Amino acid sequence: MEENTVLDVKNLKKYFMVKMGFLKSLLSKEQLYVRAVDGVSFRIGEREIFGLVGESGCGKTTTGRSILRLIEPTSGQVNFKGSDLIKLDPTEMRNMRRRLQIIFQDPYESLNPRMSIYDILAEPLQLQHIAEGPDEIIGLETKVLGEMGLVPPEEFLYRFPHELSGGQRQRVAVARAFIMTPEFVVADEPVSMLDASMRTEVVELILGMVQKLACAFLYITHDIALTRYICNRVGVMYLGQIVELGLTEDIVHHPHHPYTEALLAAVPVPDPTARRREIVIKGEVANPINPPPGCRFHPRCPYAKGRCGKEEPKLSPSGKGRTVACHFPLE
Amino acid sequence: MMLRGYLLRRILTSIFILWVVITLNFVIFRVIHPVGDPSQLIIQPGFPPEAREMLREIWGLNQPLFPDQYGKYILNLLTWQYGYTFSTPPRPIGPEMAWRLRNTLILLGMGLIGTVAIGLPLGVLAGSRRGKKTDVLVMGAGLLTWGLPSFFLQLLFLLFFAYYSNVWFGFQLMPFGGVMSYPPPKNPIILVGDVLQHAAGPVITLILISFGSWALYARNMIIDALTEDFIVTAKAKGLRERDVLYKHAFRSILPPIATMIAMAIPGLVTGAIITESIFNWPGIGQWYIAALNTGNHPVTQAVLFNFAFLMIIANLLSDVLYGLLDPRIKVGVRR
Amino acid sequence: MGLLDVENLTTYFDILRGEVKAVENISFTVEKGDAFGLAGESGCGKTTTALSILRLLPQNGKVISGEIHFEGKNLLEMNPEKYRKDIRWKKISVIFQGAMNSLNPVMTVGQQISEAILTHENLSKEEALDRAGKLLDLVGIGSERVERYAHELSGGMRQRAIIAMALSSNPSFIIADEPTTALDVIIEAQVLKVIKDLQKKLNIAMAVISHDLSMIAETCDRIGIMYAGKIVERGDIARIYKEPFHPYTKLLLGAFPSILGPIAKLSRISGFPPDLLSPPPGCRFHPRCPYAMDKCGKEDPQSIHIKGEDHFVACHLVE
Repeated sequence: MEENTVLDVKNLKKYFMVKMGFLKSLLSKEQLYVRAVDGVSFRIGEREIFGLVGESGCGKTTTGRSILRLIEPTSGQVNFKGSDLIKLDPTEMRNMRRRLQIIFQDPYESLNPRMSIYDILAEPLQLQHIAEGPDEIIGLETKVLGEMGLVPPEEFLYRFPHELSGGQRQRVAVARAFIMTPEFVVADEPVSMLDASMRTEVVELILGMVQKLACAFLYITHDIALTRYICNRVGVMYLGQIVELGLTEDIVHHPHHPYTEALLAAVPVPDPTARRREIVIKGEVANPINPPPGCRFHPRCPYAKGRCGKEEPKLSPSGKGRTVACHFPLE
Repeated sequence: MMLRGYLLRRILTSIFILWVVITLNFVIFRVIHPVGDPSQLIIQPGFPPEAREMLREIWGLNQPLFPDQYGKYILNLLTWQYGYTFSTPPRPIGPEMAWRLRNTLILLGMGLIGTVAIGLPLGVLAGSRRGKKTDVLVMGAGLLTWGLPSFFLQLLFLLFFAYYSNVWFGFQLMPFGGVMSYPPPKNPIILVGDVLQHAAGPVITLILISFGSWALYARNMIIDALTEDFIVTAKAKGLRERDVLYKHAFRSILPPIATMIAMAIPGLVTGAIITESIFNWPGIGQWYIAALNTGNHPVTQAVLFNFAFLMIIANLLSDVLYGLLDPRIKVGVRR
Repeated sequence: MGLLDVENLTTYFDILRGEVKAVENISFTVEKGDAFGLAGESGCGKTTTALSILRLLPQNGKVISGEIHFEGKNLLEMNPEKYRKDIRWKKISVIFQGAMNSLNPVMTVGQQISEAILTHENLSKEEALDRAGKLLDLVGIGSERVERYAHELSGGMRQRAIIAMALSSNPSFIIADEPTTALDVIIEAQVLKVIKDLQKKLNIAMAVISHDLSMIAETCDRIGIMYAGKIVERGDIARIYKEPFHPYTKLLLGAFPSILGPIAKLSRISGFPPDLLSPPPGCRFHPRCPYAMDKCGKEDPQSIHIKGEDHFVACHLVE
């Protein structure tokens, strides 16, 4: 695992400035920040799909985009095969882009409605000088569309996004990422807009491509149940931080962080006879401009003690291959 | 508290903008040669140069531009008296501006109120009956008159209601122009009626050519609003169709409409130019054209100053109205 | 006869290219105090069914045939004004998918709840607002929020306010259309608990419409599975989830991941749902069905009652 690490994120932070009026900014000494991502660290190996799970606003999307520098992170390191992405100058970063790809959630938004499938797939190839002539491009395109189960591929090349169903569009979005033979891919909720019956196939296509290209894959999602079927390891995020990280099966069956426990208890189960678990936490997520002192989860935590409100817990080992940021981890 | 701070900030920036505008007006009309010196326009080449010097002295053009002419210019605007015309003898602009502005506001105010009062309800009605006969009829009529050039419609009006009605029926439905008959009627009630009769032509034509755009705008906004989930919810609650339409749909599009109305006010002044010329209505539009042609710069500057002032007031008004009508916008709080 | 009986309902939409056969000959019953789930994927006709019951179909939508009986009266034949006054909200209210849009952004929550009350009851404004406050207490967001606007509430609170509004005139039946979609899991669980508790406590019948079989499993007693405008299987939820007969139900259930138990392979359904302008002949699922026989492409399967069980299935395999 250590030897074939593809991506190593260390202490990544992204603070967004809170906009204030001109006069107000003169009067108040302190500039306020939304701490969207506040010290996130993890690694992803070759052929590995790492999951980042959390509720909306926890910072998982910002993490994914900061790693690819689609938004500039505030600080931290993103070591990708020997170079720190954060330190690259714009030209170096542009050359690096071929090896880094992203798949977005909404195929209705991520595909330009005025471009044919041919153009959508050809654009990155031409920009990165991977293929020049139309014959070469068509060759690559039909190959990847075939791999995505859009058969016969020739029939799809000159269609436009609006002529495709949601499931087909998302396959095109996946194809656009994989046609570049990337070494690292971020997928932000790639199947959450799809109906359940469409989802499985797209998931299997992604799993297959990751093995085939031997790339590293960051899977960002709110759906922890589906994560079990996709990710070997997973990190659970709360208010800009990873609170628990480990093997997906271990975490799902034996959560060590109270937040993970609460999140799992809330997930509905497709079985009417399953025992209904009580929801143990109340209230809603705190404001990321002014997160609670100490452990950020302590105001909602049913097990919180005095120390939790004062001292911030660090991610520390808790069992085999697992780290937890909690003063009193569950056993 | 928040609102007061916001208003203060807006007023300060407004004053700054106004200063920029009037300074530009000064630079364009006084500094740039030869526009700046209207004595050239008036004096025939054969006249002795002393005559020209005399004019320059009467109009104060022989003084240095800065600070004398500029300072006087600013002072004149600040007192709302605008100084004197470039004519012989010079006349004070203030009193004439007052009654011309009043005439313009009467005409265009009635035009705007009429346009909104007719255009909006028709648009809402058409939008709520999308695709039906009412919709097609309203939109057809609105687009037809909207597409007509205003002067053409206005000349037709003059031709039929002031001229042919007299020729054919021996009765002049409306006068050829002016604000009131001469001499004006003594009885105040008859006077109001007389003014209304004079204003009818220009006001009706103004409404005809502009209600269509308002109706179309309101219609499209209502159609959008009617597809919102809260409209379906309101219907499911058992509300009457009329209440769904007005209490929910129309109320939700009111903030942008109020803004539009406020922002239409300065547009009126520019719209005044053609209408006032055709109906010989002594307002500021007509005056502005005449002043431009004769190099009567103080008048041009005074009209433009009032226009800029109106623009700024309208802007402020539209922002405040939006904040009052839409709870999502807190005036003075930046998001 | 139940509280709500839908019998052979068929609803079509007219569009430029033809007639969308959105709902075709569906029947189901909801008993008093019962929670019925109507499940299916996007475009299967579940929301159209709800709008047909509410008589809120868009202009181009039309009920072609069938009957909808509520407390013994045929809703589709009722005079529109009588329907508006006597049925809407008073008897049948709705919780729409309401992240933001089910509440009017320029009216306070209290105004919107009291408006529903005042439409059906002869109360003063103060009395109605007072009741709105009590309802907000009941759903756990507190009466002090009556004067709030939708944008001032979090997603979870907004959805609770919508629930309070649905309860405002003591209906006997609530239609909940994707009531928790777009909410985060923890908030979703809290909102579902509120819905479930109040439904049992006030003995209200409910139809829950959702694509999410997990959510329906947690809230409903009975279920109907829709595919391409038809109900393919319906009955007792525990029985159907344990022993689905229709291949579509089987595959769809298998496509939902669970947080419990070992990881089983997720099922996949190849192909795409049909275009309802020209649905396939026979069973509408047959082009995607792994068990399809000759007969399936020719004959429309009738709904068969499994003896001794609350279980109906429309599939030739079962015969």
